[in-house]
Amino acid sequence: MGKLIGHAAMRIIPAVLVVVALGPIFWTVLGAFKELRDIVTPIPKLVFEPTIDNFVTILRNPTIRDGLLNSVVVVSATVLIGALLGIPAAHALARYARRWGDDIQFFVLSLRFMPPVAIAIPFIVIYLDLGIYDTLFGLVLVYLTTSVSTIIWLAVPAFESVPRDIEEAAAMEGCPPWEVFWRFSLPIAAPSLFGALVFTFVLVWNELLLALTLAAQNATLPVVAASITSLGKEVPWGVINAATVLLVLPPLVFIGLLMGLLNSMVRSGPK
Amino acid sequence: MTRKPFAALSLAPAIALLAMLAIVSVGGAIWLALMNRTLRSPDAEFVGAYNFLRLLRDRRFFNALEISVIWELFTVAGTILLAVTLAILIFETVKKPIWRNLLCFAFLVPVLLPRVAAAFIWRFLYSPSLGVINYLLGLVGIGPVEFLADPSLALVSVAVVDIWQWGLFFTVILLKLLETLPRDPIEAAMLDNARTWEIHAYVTLPMLKGPIISLVLVKAVESLRSFDLIFVMTGGGPGTATETLDLYAYQMGINMGGRISYASAMSILLLVVTTIAFTIIWKAGRRWAN
Repeated sequence: MGKLIGHAAMRIIPAVLVVVALGPIFWTVLGAFKELRDIVTPIPKLVFEPTIDNFVTILRNPTIRDGLLNSVVVVSATVLIGALLGIPAAHALARYARRWGDDIQFFVLSLRFMPPVAIAIPFIVIYLDLGIYDTLFGLVLVYLTTSVSTIIWLAVPAFESVPRDIEEAAAMEGCPPWEVFWRFSLPIAAPSLFGALVFTFVLVWNELLLALTLAAQNATLPVVAASITSLGKEVPWGVINAATVLLVLPPLVFIGLLMGLLNSMVRSGPK
Repeated sequence: MTRKPFAALSLAPAIALLAMLAIVSVGGAIWLALMNRTLRSPDAEFVGAYNFLRLLRDRRFFNALEISVIWELFTVAGTILLAVTLAILIFETVKKPIWRNLLCFAFLVPVLLPRVAAAFIWRFLYSPSLGVINYLLGLVGIGPVEFLADPSLALVSVAVVDIWQWGLFFTVILLKLLETLPRDPIEAAMLDNARTWEIHAYVTLPMLKGPIISLVLVKAVESLRSFDLIFVMTGGGPGTATETLDLYAYQMGINMGGRISYASAMSILLLVVTTIAFTIIWKAGRRWAN
């Protein structure tokens, strides 16, 4: 009897856990395809006639379209510039910096401790005075704190795991340091570096507070989504659900990559 | 080009940019905190420690401080407890690799969601009139429960979402770590007829002490970024029941008349407290981990 219950538990536990993890998201996705009258029912409906009206509404809405475009521009600029600055810096930290390396790495990490509010508030005033308040340029500049520090933090271990022998052999052959970096270290570290860029992409795509305070009008998608609470009289739950789905899709594309990153981090040994 | 100039050249732009942004934001915040600048007009004069002294007499500030501390303790403890429990549960009951991998994928999804999206998803579930949770509670004769409008429940209800996102993520990490542990000590304990929970409490978890402490630290830093979730779910309300320090600073500095100097004083205090706290935790963490 006890064994029977044990067997049943083994079947049920994974199923329950998957429902806990994914159920709320699944329900929102369903809601995105419902008409409002299918949402406002006393008994939640699992079977209904799907509609794409909610997606049409949000994609026709100029504010949401602008938000989406701003998000794409800001996030790609931030990740790209972050990579251009952060990856060479991480390589230098992993390979050359002996005396100052640890201090610099601690400084980089400590930037991630900073409460975002403490960054946002002084920057509002500075941006107002400089005339770059509410511009995408200003937003990218602040986001570079996040992207450069995150990329350095994740890319240093990636370069440390590149075998030294290869770099030394190349240097012996007379390769200048930049060529060693470009032709040998970078391609070998590339898979882990890509993971670091994806992680940074997700962080910046998801960010709300800085975008809300520094670019209220030229806002990114999270700010726009956060501001839909009412269109007309009723809370437009279908539209909110559709906007949520739109916001959620880009980070989820990279889930497989995150899993791989996690596996390689765990395999390289608990810290 | 030799090694040293190359290293300097590749390091300098990134570090210069980070240093500039750090100095400008910290310096700017200190400068503003000593003035009486508002968002409405660019004129301001030096007022010294006035803003800081006023903070000490501000009840709403101390309320926000209290809420922040409760939020921090509750979300960190909740996340770690959930992750340890679920990781051991899955490790013991789900043996097939395919099921484990599926679970891991499912558990990674919530943490990838933007906070704004997670907030909306749960606001929908919590809704008293059309939410699924209240429907299920209604079936057993409870409710409707005003999860987000009841001052005594609101903070916990929001914290549940945070724990849902991070606890499941940490479960995956801990499960992977459990799988990498050497089998010998576990088998030795099994030979001694140790119960399952004893094996974990006395053998596996002590072996994972270092990584667990790292996870606590990561979560403690992460929990400070509560703004996005709380802002969308409750906006700090009802009343000030879920108003953490970053929400109060935002309300002061931007929403309510733009008292930006006062908000700066608050963010300076927040910065000092977190820096001290994390240096201590960091050092202590290193000592425990070794």
